[in-house]
Order: sequence, then structure tokens, then C-alpha cells
Amino acid sequence: MTTQGRGRSREQWAYVPYLLPGLLLFTAVIGVPFLMNVGTSFTEWTGVGTPEWVGLDNYRELAGDEQFWASFGHNALIIVGMAILPTMIGLVLASVLTDLIGRHFGARTASFLRACIYLPQVLPIVIAGVVWSWLLAPEGGAVNALLDAVGLGSLAHDWLGDPATALWSVIAVMVWIQIGFPLVIFMSGLQRVDPSLYEAAEIDGASWMRRFWHITVPQIRPEIFVVLLWTTIAALKAFAQIFVLTKGGPGGATNVPAYYSWVHFFEKSDVGYGSAIATVLTLVIIALTVVFLRMQGRELEEAR
Amino acid sequence: MTATLAKVAGTPPRERSGGPRRRRRGPSAYAVLVALAAFAGVMLIPFVVVVFNALKTPQEYSSKGPLAPPDGFNLDAVRAFWERTDFGNVLVNSVFISGSVAVLAVLLSVLNAYALGIGQIKGRMWVLVLLLMANTVPQEALVYPLYYLSKQVGLYDTRISVIIVFTVIQSAFGTYLLASVLSAFPRPLLEAARIDGAGRWQVLWRVIVPVVRPTLSVLMVFFFVWTWNEFLIPMVFLISNENQTVSVALGVLQGQRLMDATMSSAASLLGLLPTVVFFLIFQRTLSRGLTAGAIK
Amino acid sequence: MIKAGRSAAVLAALAAAALSLTACGGDDGGSGGKELKLWHYEAPDSAMGKAWAEAVKEFEATHPGVTVKFEEKGFEQIQKTAPMVLNSKDAPDVMEYNKGNATAGLLSKQGLLTDLTAEVEKRGWGKLISPNVQVTAKYDAKGTMGGDKWFGVPNYAEYLQVYYNKDLFEKHDVEIPTTFDELIAAMDAFVAKDVTPFTNAGAEYMAHQFVYQLALDKADQSWVDAFQRYTAKADFNDAAWTHGATTFADWVKKGYIAKNSVSLKAEDAGVAFMKGEFPMMFSGSWWFGRVAAEAKFDWETAVWPGAKMTLGSGGNLWVVPQGSENKELAYDFIDITMKKKIQNTLGNAGGIPVAADPSAITEPKAEKLIGDFDSLAKSGGLAYYPDWPVAGFYDVLVSQTQKLMNGTAPGEVLDGIQKSYDSGLPK
Repeated sequence: MTTQGRGRSREQWAYVPYLLPGLLLFTAVIGVPFLMNVGTSFTEWTGVGTPEWVGLDNYRELAGDEQFWASFGHNALIIVGMAILPTMIGLVLASVLTDLIGRHFGARTASFLRACIYLPQVLPIVIAGVVWSWLLAPEGGAVNALLDAVGLGSLAHDWLGDPATALWSVIAVMVWIQIGFPLVIFMSGLQRVDPSLYEAAEIDGASWMRRFWHITVPQIRPEIFVVLLWTTIAALKAFAQIFVLTKGGPGGATNVPAYYSWVHFFEKSDVGYGSAIATVLTLVIIALTVVFLRMQGRELEEAR
Repeated sequence: MTATLAKVAGTPPRERSGGPRRRRRGPSAYAVLVALAAFAGVMLIPFVVVVFNALKTPQEYSSKGPLAPPDGFNLDAVRAFWERTDFGNVLVNSVFISGSVAVLAVLLSVLNAYALGIGQIKGRMWVLVLLLMANTVPQEALVYPLYYLSKQVGLYDTRISVIIVFTVIQSAFGTYLLASVLSAFPRPLLEAARIDGAGRWQVLWRVIVPVVRPTLSVLMVFFFVWTWNEFLIPMVFLISNENQTVSVALGVLQGQRLMDATMSSAASLLGLLPTVVFFLIFQRTLSRGLTAGAIK
Repeated sequence: MIKAGRSAAVLAALAAAALSLTACGGDDGGSGGKELKLWHYEAPDSAMGKAWAEAVKEFEATHPGVTVKFEEKGFEQIQKTAPMVLNSKDAPDVMEYNKGNATAGLLSKQGLLTDLTAEVEKRGWGKLISPNVQVTAKYDAKGTMGGDKWFGVPNYAEYLQVYYNKDLFEKHDVEIPTTFDELIAAMDAFVAKDVTPFTNAGAEYMAHQFVYQLALDKADQSWVDAFQRYTAKADFNDAAWTHGATTFADWVKKGYIAKNSVSLKAEDAGVAFMKGEFPMMFSGSWWFGRVAAEAKFDWETAVWPGAKMTLGSGGNLWVVPQGSENKELAYDFIDITMKKKIQNTLGNAGGIPVAADPSAITEPKAEKLIGDFDSLAKSGGLAYYPDWPVAGFYDVLVSQTQKLMNGTAPGEVLDGIQKSYDSGLPK
């Protein structure tokens, strides 16, 4: 890009008008509000009336807030549950559905199965939370009943009540909710792969695993990046799933920063502190986005 | 235009759904099919529970618990909820808001991604990072500022305010996905169009949009479903009942200390039907996928 | 391509239909007559829902030319957005709002609620409501309850009692307890027969309400005032709190309360009781109507065995937002809901009226429910709820009680509660 010199840069300016609507709307809806949020993070404010300037007090308090840092720790695991696992499972499922089911049993079968797996994405999260807490209930819950029925009754557990398993149970539910998203994106990405590539590989006797690694994954690399970044951001902001399943419990074992800031914004009417948490969270996510986009740029550059 | 394009691009002819049946199906293929069907079945179990409870009377639910199958077919809860929340109006609001957002956000994404992906604007990564902030800033942080701003411009308690906000928020994903896809767009195709005398505006609508149309459908489905299920911002900005969306209206069933489980189940089924219908309408276009890259 | 075109057309048609429909429903102002905008969040089949629907009819009959525009709201929506709504021109004329320092108290401090003191005086509402119930309606300049100015009017009341499944007591040959010692004996008898005595929900209010009740058994009025109204420093390592926490932990250990109820929600616990799985439920009068309608066994209610004080208070408040355009009409509406007729309806539907005519309550279970409450209120036995004193305390109590159930030492749990309480005190 840099080697092409001046003509290229005039060419670039011609594209700027296309960005204007996006940038203007962004400024009004996100840019200004975010700066306002940064502003209130230096104040003590209940959301109504005049904010009282307190300087860096909120941040100082935040630095020493154990609950906040513990909640960031839980986020690491939630990234596994909302980003890494669904991306991996989605990749394998997309490949199996396209490469095996789609070609052997027809596109209709593949579409139908995809629709089933996507469905959890449309269920309102509040209802999903209620239903899963029924299924995971320690007494009379379906999961424990199933374990009993197959002779594994000793594994029956108070899934959401035991601090040791609560976060893992939440993660399992998140995987359930989340898989449909990568699946749909990956399957649509796989459509552009030339089917003759697979056929040729099959004739050469390449196993499914080999086709997966050498054809599927390289071909939809841009989508893998997009999905990974997107789900990671979603995991860092995860809130609704926690709210409906455990409200951060038992005893804070599933607390996350987004939920923590929500509590300050809307339960404690401590908008100043809530803003400070949200600001820190945003900065962390932006840093991560930059690192990620850099990586993506380099990888895709090489692949081209 | 599109026909010639396909020829230029040399896209391999798509196989119709009847085509692949010729291939042999080994026993292992059947095993995979069975496994996947079982997996899909497991994914649907929670929906079965929702349907069970939607059909129960409150007495049945209280005496047998949430997981037992219903005795019969009781649609009282559905009817009661419909009347209580004026659900017809609520559905119209949700369709209007989610539909508008789906269309507008796709439009905005296309424009943004054109400049970033095809235009290769200088510092595009930083512009992208900035635009992505629409998604990185937690929504709860936007609530108070947006509340004061919308009051200032007289948009508080209007559907328009919610449409504008979500158009920007959802377009972040569209911009990112499309920009990633378009930066791999085959240059020869663009240059050919330019030689034919097409301006940038025409190239966008006559060359790029037709090629990435399936991706746009994917985006439209996502934006519709995501906006449909948004709760926090609609709850804050749609105060009057006549402006409410489905997810906000479901909230009346979650009382201060009690919830109405049977009615909630019925209501959530009612509320998710339109999104399923929307998904199924676009299902077909989904499977056509991102053909842009098929051009080698 | 044609197919994609068709679905785009479907979409466009939908959007157009939506636009035209909403355009029709848009204008409703300017119809000459006055309008009273009323919001509340009680289900239509609840006691309050029924009584207030009747009040609306009564109001429209006595105010020709005025229509009541009632909107049922979600509890969550009102809780989370009240400060924003009341600070805009979209505020209703009269609405139901939660009582307590962190809710009505905060709004009064922010200047969003109308001071009703003069109106209460004029219309004599103060005389109808017993002083113990008045506390939650009056706030001081800092927004602390029990102050000198009325910012709301409670229309009903609520308190906790024990619900007994009489069939289970009979089946296992256990007597319904009337003293604390009898309660322990009854629980031992049930545990001996492998029956868990109490239903419980650790993820919501039920668990910490046990702790508070057990603490109240060793406390007095000044202890409650110190804790709820900051009249003195509250010490969570005092005898009462320590007794509450250790006894509760002990009960979990002994199996009076199931350990695996840690993650359950109140709804699950209530349904388990109504299914007939537990002989006792210790919870609020808000369950009364539902148990009456849905339980298939014989049951009764009573105040916590041996309690002088128990959890309870006036119910949610009618508040008049500062921005209300029809304050006079709002006062008229409140006045109607305080009238004997509406209050009696509320009582007969399973609610606890604040100003009913005792002889008009005909249903025997409701009569006992209301009678028990009246004697508690008269003796000053209402100790409010433990999550009220500071904002965000509910989450802290839930989370610390969950730790207690999972085996953390009572002292450590109480220290955690103390820390949040101290940092949340009004400055």
C-alpha cells in the first residue's frame, strides 16, 4: 500500500464520503455518550441532579476493589465458554454439515439441522435462564434425573449452587446459546469453497480430518477471525446470561465486570462508580481489539 | 449484469439440492447423521420445556412442577397475555423496530465497509477500531448519556430513538465482517468495471452489492434477531406502553417477588415466532453464502 | 436473486404496514377531557390488581369527563428507570413505587416526588394508617425512612408468616408449633422421617429472611432502628446477628433447610411448597393469593412461632411525581383507594388492607391473615426487611447467605455484610 505513492492516496480520499454517515451517526450515538460516560466517572452522581466532581476517587477505589478484580478473573473462563469453545465446535459442525451431510444427504437436511442448532439464539435470554435453572435444579432437575437414569447418579450435583461448578454450568449454558452464531457464519463462508477441492481431496483418499485442516480452516480464515473477536468482546461484556442464571452467585463465584457495573448503575444508583467500571472495561476491550486486528491484518496478509 | 458477472467471475455452477444424492453414502455417513440429529435434539430440549409450560394451567404447574408434560391443551395463558399487554401492538412495534434496524444497519455497514475494505483508506484499522466501539462500550454505560441527549432533541420515549441507536450498534458487526470480506475482493473485477466507465457509486451497487448479497442476508438475519431480543435500551427509552417491544412487554410477567411461569412461557413462544419466521425466510439465502471469494 | 428480491419485498411490506399502523395509533391527546395517567406493576389477578381496577371504575364514576389511562408496567422497568422517567415530561400522574431508603427515599432526596404531608393532613390518611406502617411512607431530607414528610401513601401492607401444609403435618403425626421450642421439636420430628421441614431459596430473598428473623428473635426495637434508620451504629457481630447467622448455618447442617437450595429462586421454592414437598414455608403474604388458588392440600398461616417482631411493613406506595400535571386528581384517586369499599375488596382478595372494616372480611383464612397483621402492627412488631438500609444490600445479603450455606464461618459472613453496610451508609 505504501509503495504505490501519491495517486493512490488521492484515490483513497474519494472513498471518504462513504464513511461520513457512519462516522456522524457514530459520533452522536456512541462517541459523545462515551465521552460523557468518561466524564461522569470522575464524579459522584446518582443519575439525577448535578454530579459532584471527585477527580480520580472512583478509579482509586476501583484499583483496590477486590470484587472487581475477581470478576475480571471469571471473565477469562467466560471467554472460553462464549468464544473459544463455540468457535471450535461451530467450526467442526459447520464443516461436518457442509462437507458430509450437505453432500451426502442434501442441502435441505443440512439447513434443517443448522436451524435447530441456531434456535437457542432467538430464545429471549430471560426465558432461557429460567428454563435452564429448572433443568439444572438439584431436586427434580432434568440433568440430575438423566444422570440417575443412566446409572451415574453419583455425579448428580447442585450445579448452580456449588461454587466449584456454578461457573462451569453457566459456561455450558453459554455454549448452548452461542453455537448457532459461529455455525451460521462459518457455513455461509464455506459456500464459497470450490466443491471440486473437496472432491479431488476425497479421490486422493484424504481423510475428513485432513480435509478439515487443509481445506476448510484456511478457506474461511477471515470468518474465524471475525467470529473469535466478536465472541470475545461479547464474553467480556457478558451480563444477561449471568444475571438470569446466578445473579453473580453463589457468593460472588460468577460475578463479572459488566454485571458489577450494572449493579452500580441501576441497583445502587452510584452512576459515578459504575461509569468508572464501564470505562475501564471499555479500554480493556479496545486494547484487545487493537491487538487482535493487528494479528488479523498480518495473518491475512500472509495468506494472500 | 449479474449473469455476466458470474461468467466473468467463473463461479463454478452451484449444485442444486437434488444433485449430490448420486454420491455414495457409507455407514459412517449415516452414523454422523444420527449423531448430529441427536445433538440437534438435545439443543431443542429447553424449547420442549417452554412449550410444555406454555400449555399448562397455573394449577398444573404448581402441583407437578415445571418439567412435567402438560395434561392437555390450554391456551388460556396465551389469550390472557395477548389481551393484557395489547400484544398485537407490541408485535408491530418490534417488527417495525427490528425490521428498520436490519435494513438501515446493513446499509450503513455496506457504506462503511466499502470505504474501509475496497477504499483501503489510510489508517483504516484505527477507523475500524473506532467504529467497533459501538460494540465494545457496554450498553449500561450508554444509558444515562443517551437518555439526556435524547431528551434534549425530543426523541425520548420514541421508537425512532431506539432505531437510531441500534442501527449504529449493530452496524459495527456488519462493518467488520464486510470490511474483512471486501478487503479480499478480487481487484480485476473492480478494474474491469472501472474501465467500462462505472463510477465508484455504480461499482458499489452494480458490482459489489450483488456479489456479497448473501452475506448481507446473513447480516440482516442477525441484526433482526439481535435487535428483537434487546432489553436494556428499549426498557429505558420506550416508556409508554404503546411504544413497547416484545422483550419489554415480557417484563410485566416478572413481578417484584413472584413470576408467572406458565404465562411467561406462552408469551415467550409468541414472542419468538416472528424471529423464527424471519430466519426461515432467509434460510435459503443463507446457504448460498459468501460467493465473493469463489472468484479465484 | 429473484427469491432474495421477494424476501426483501416481504420485509418492506412488513415495515410499511408497521409504519402505517403505528401512525394510526399515534395521536390520542387533544380529546378535550382530562386524563389521569396511572402506572402500577401488580398482576391483574392479584389482590391489589383487583382492588385497584375497582378503584379506577369508582374514580371514573365520580369524576365525569376524566378518563384513567392505566398502564401496567414491568417491575424491573419501573425500578431501573424511575429516576429517568420522573425527570422527564413523560412522568405519570400517580404511580406505585417501592418503599425504602434506596427507592422512594432516593427519589424524594432527588426532588422527584411531591411532598404529600399537607394532603395527608387534609384528607386524614394519617389516621387510617398505624404508626408502625407509616414509617415507610415518611422520609427525611436525606431520604431516610421514618422522617417527618410524607412522600407516599401505602395502600396495603405485607409481612412474613409461616405457611403450614396441614396434610403433611397430619401424615407424619406432627403438631403445628406455636412456640420456638415446639418449632425445633417439629423440625426434628420431620428430619427423623427424612422430610426436609422448610422450603428455601438461596439465590433470592428467602434465605436471608430466615437469618434476619432468627436475629430478630434476640433483638428489640432500638436494634431495628439502629440497623434500618441509622439511629446508632449497627454492629453485625453483636449477639443478635451472631445468633441469626450461626443458628441458620446450624439449621442447614441439621437438615432443617436443604443445603442444595443454595441456587434456587423463590419461585422454585414456592412451587415446591405448593407441590406438597415441604411441610413449611416461611415467606411473605404476597404468596397468600397464589397458595389459596393453587395448593391442593389443607393449609394455614401463622406468625413465626414465638416472634415478638417479624419482617413486614407497609406495602408499596402511591407516589405523585413532581412533574404530575393533575395532582389534585391524583390525590382523589389515592383517596378512593383508601376508602373502606376498595380496602375490603383488597382484603377479601387475599391482600392485607391498611384501613379495612374487619367485619367485612368474610373469608376465614384472610381474616386470620389480617388479624395477625393488625396485632403485629399495634404492638410495633414490624421490623421491615433486611435488604432495605443501603442501596445494593440485597445482592450482598443473598451472596453472603449463600456463602453461609456453603460452609463459610458465620463470623466471616457477618464481616462481609458489615463492610458493605458501612460503605453504603448515607454520607
